[in-house]
Amino acid sequence: MSQTSVLSSLSEINEKYRMFRTITSETDAGDAKFLFSAKDNLTSKDMETCSGSRILEGYRPPFDATSIARMREAGGLLVGKTNMDEFGFGTFSTNSAFGVPRNPYDLERSCGGSSGGAACAAAVMEGHVAIGVSTGGSICCPASFCGVYGIVPTYGRVSRYGLLDYGNSLDKIGIISSNASDLGKYVGIMAGADPRDPTSCVQPAIGARRKLESVAVPKGAAEGVSEAVRKAFADGLEALKGMGVDVETVEMPSLKYAIPAYYVIATSEASTNLARYCGMRYGHQYGDLSLKFDDYFTSFRSQYFGEEAKRRILLGTFTRMVGFRDRYYSKARMVRQSIIGEYRSVLRGCDAVLTPTMPFVSPKFSDISIMTPVESYKADILTGPPNIAGMPHASVPCGYDGDGMPVGMQFVADHWDEGVLFSAAEEWEKNFDAVRPEVSI
Amino acid sequence: MKIGLEVHVQLPTKSKLFCPCPTTDAPAPNTHVCPVCLGLPGARPMMNGKAIEYGILLAKMLGCTIRDTTWFARKIYFYPDNAKNFQITQYDRPLGEKGMYYLNGKKPIRITRIHIEEDPGKIKRVGDLSSLVDYNRSGIPLAEIVTEPDLSTPAEAREFLGQLIRDIRHTIDIPDDGERSIRCDCNLSVGIERCEVKNVTGLRNVERALTYEMVRQTKLLKAGGKVVRETRRFDEERGVTISVRKKEMEADYGYIDEPDLGIFNVKELADSLKIKESPHNMIIRLTKEYGIDERTAKQFVSTSVDLARLFEDLAAATDAETARTWTSGAISAGWRAFEARGGKDASEAVSIVRDFTNGKITDTECGLRIKAFLTGTDVDSVNAGSADLDAMISEYLDGNPSVVEDYRKNEKAANRVIGHVMKQTGGAYSSADIVDATKKLIGERL
Repeated sequence: MSQTSVLSSLSEINEKYRMFRTITSETDAGDAKFLFSAKDNLTSKDMETCSGSRILEGYRPPFDATSIARMREAGGLLVGKTNMDEFGFGTFSTNSAFGVPRNPYDLERSCGGSSGGAACAAAVMEGHVAIGVSTGGSICCPASFCGVYGIVPTYGRVSRYGLLDYGNSLDKIGIISSNASDLGKYVGIMAGADPRDPTSCVQPAIGARRKLESVAVPKGAAEGVSEAVRKAFADGLEALKGMGVDVETVEMPSLKYAIPAYYVIATSEASTNLARYCGMRYGHQYGDLSLKFDDYFTSFRSQYFGEEAKRRILLGTFTRMVGFRDRYYSKARMVRQSIIGEYRSVLRGCDAVLTPTMPFVSPKFSDISIMTPVESYKADILTGPPNIAGMPHASVPCGYDGDGMPVGMQFVADHWDEGVLFSAAEEWEKNFDAVRPEVSI
Repeated sequence: MKIGLEVHVQLPTKSKLFCPCPTTDAPAPNTHVCPVCLGLPGARPMMNGKAIEYGILLAKMLGCTIRDTTWFARKIYFYPDNAKNFQITQYDRPLGEKGMYYLNGKKPIRITRIHIEEDPGKIKRVGDLSSLVDYNRSGIPLAEIVTEPDLSTPAEAREFLGQLIRDIRHTIDIPDDGERSIRCDCNLSVGIERCEVKNVTGLRNVERALTYEMVRQTKLLKAGGKVVRETRRFDEERGVTISVRKKEMEADYGYIDEPDLGIFNVKELADSLKIKESPHNMIIRLTKEYGIDERTAKQFVSTSVDLARLFEDLAAATDAETARTWTSGAISAGWRAFEARGGKDASEAVSIVRDFTNGKITDTECGLRIKAFLTGTDVDSVNAGSADLDAMISEYLDGNPSVVEDYRKNEKAANRVIGHVMKQTGGAYSSADIVDATKKLIGERL
């Protein structure tokens, strides 16, 4: 399929899968070297950027995110902005104000989240490069649910300039694609110091690719996961051994604190980041101007924030308040340090830590609708730890359940050591029999 | 009575605290703005290192402890001039803490802390129901200096603020642009509970607001009332303070560390930065070191720190008394002219005075040569000029012999002559020259 014909089929594809929030009006791919999409929380001059939220509906940013600008400079054509949970708040992309992307393997199931639209686009369109963003698992979760490759580089590797913040100390921009080789190629394009994001300015260059020789599996990593995931993960481990990779089991007792600590830090930061959305300057504006300013702000925030956004603002505001800050926010940051320490000591003895990516295959929408918030937060149990530690990690497909739904496993490497993840994913791809979803339009 | 101040000073950086927008006067509202200072989604702060330098200099000036690392925090409150609805400021690790600053070189005022933060935009009310917001000011770097409640009266607070501002201007080279650029939160209590008057601009208003508050609280207590902890604002036109909100309504700002900026290691920078001696400290040092009286030291320093330095050079080359005599006399007299013609290096004056102390030239020659050097003319024209001046004074004294008689009783009588000559010459001679010449000529007739 030529690039131009892909462009012309986007609307039709989107009718079926709802992976895009906005599609380019461009109909001719011209001499574009590649087509890519970006999650709807990355600013783009020529398309709306809403981060899945009604409150930003109609907002056209005056500047491109650095990640998008660098992809464009490299010859990429931005074909659309992918659907997502509002501000990244979700695991199933069901918290979007603009429809819900459908899993290419089963339209009744979720694509995962919050970069659900990105993973969906990568799964449906072979060779499509999707920029995703991960705060607590938002790249690896949908990559796993959609049977594709996803990488989250080290925190600070890719400039966050132009990223609508969820949790600034956690947000990382990465790539989702059906081709393992795209991970290294496109992270390489987006990476590098950018003065507009000071946290990107302390990075060493991406190291040379290094063959994966050993992995450590935390004891109990496959406990509490579904039978299908356990089996596919066990098969994956056997396959790795067959590829000459040493597998050992390690104790990592602090990983279980990652999720509570993650939710405290992420919501604390998010509740400050979302303060600026108040019906002034951008997005929905011009409400009842006779109101006092704080009532005016409240009216917009009440009307246009979704339920999960409000929940996280409340959670995060609570954990920052005098009397609670030390008990929650400050303590969560200490937990983060101990998790980093634990990863470091394990990674001194091996190349990567390996676990399943998600504890279950993609659930049906009907099951998601009856989940409590805490049940859905717990789905991040395996993706949370590398995210809170800022460690680079990648999800690769490692098998399928009885219904043909994909299962993923997740490699975690040391800070700045993306090189070993790139080669691990590429080697794995050569040895793994992927089953592509049937896409009929 | 206890008074404590929180003083906000704009730092003289060329660009804003977290973005490259200029800090100069903007041609129109909302023209010196960018995604960062407008708080647009996706933009984030970049640190202007110069602001940290200025902050460190001020922390040193205030005798604060500067720790090796410093970082920023988000202070969350909703207000239309606050572009992100949080302000980036410093909370649990300010640039400087626990300083000590001496009012008039004597009374110690404890400094709680000094930190750096961004200025919000400006709200302009247009009519009863609407306001406009101008974000040109958004992101201008501010230093906030917080004192302990060590000031005792509104007048003392004003005096303290005046001295503090002079020292700040000197330390970080802020041009004197009037006192309006200083904003102050004033805390005052006459009994147990205190009230805070927010955002008062200018020295005079600080004293007015504090005085009003002092009277209000005193009256209230006398009448058997109770002062409640609250935030008030000052109405400049009416000269009164007005309650804005009670303590229990005060916001919990829910501070968190600013995650986009990280931690700054400032040890090396702080060690490398040296502060200039403040004018105030210089006066004290000159008095002690050279045994001159405080009034003279103050006169030297307030004329110009360079003049005071020349005095020190002279004292080193000769002795303190000779240096004092010539600096108060001929050098002070010609100093304004020297500065007016852009003079920088006045070391020539030192060698002229040395010629005098070595006996190479006379007292009169020395005075003439100093004057010629400072005014940038030659000795002959100085000579001619002073001859003209002498002639004019003599003529006046001839016509008004009573001046000499009056002068015996009161030296102020000379002012009549001085006033006359000034009027006649229209500023051709410095007042110091006229005073000197008049005293000399009257002295000859006594």
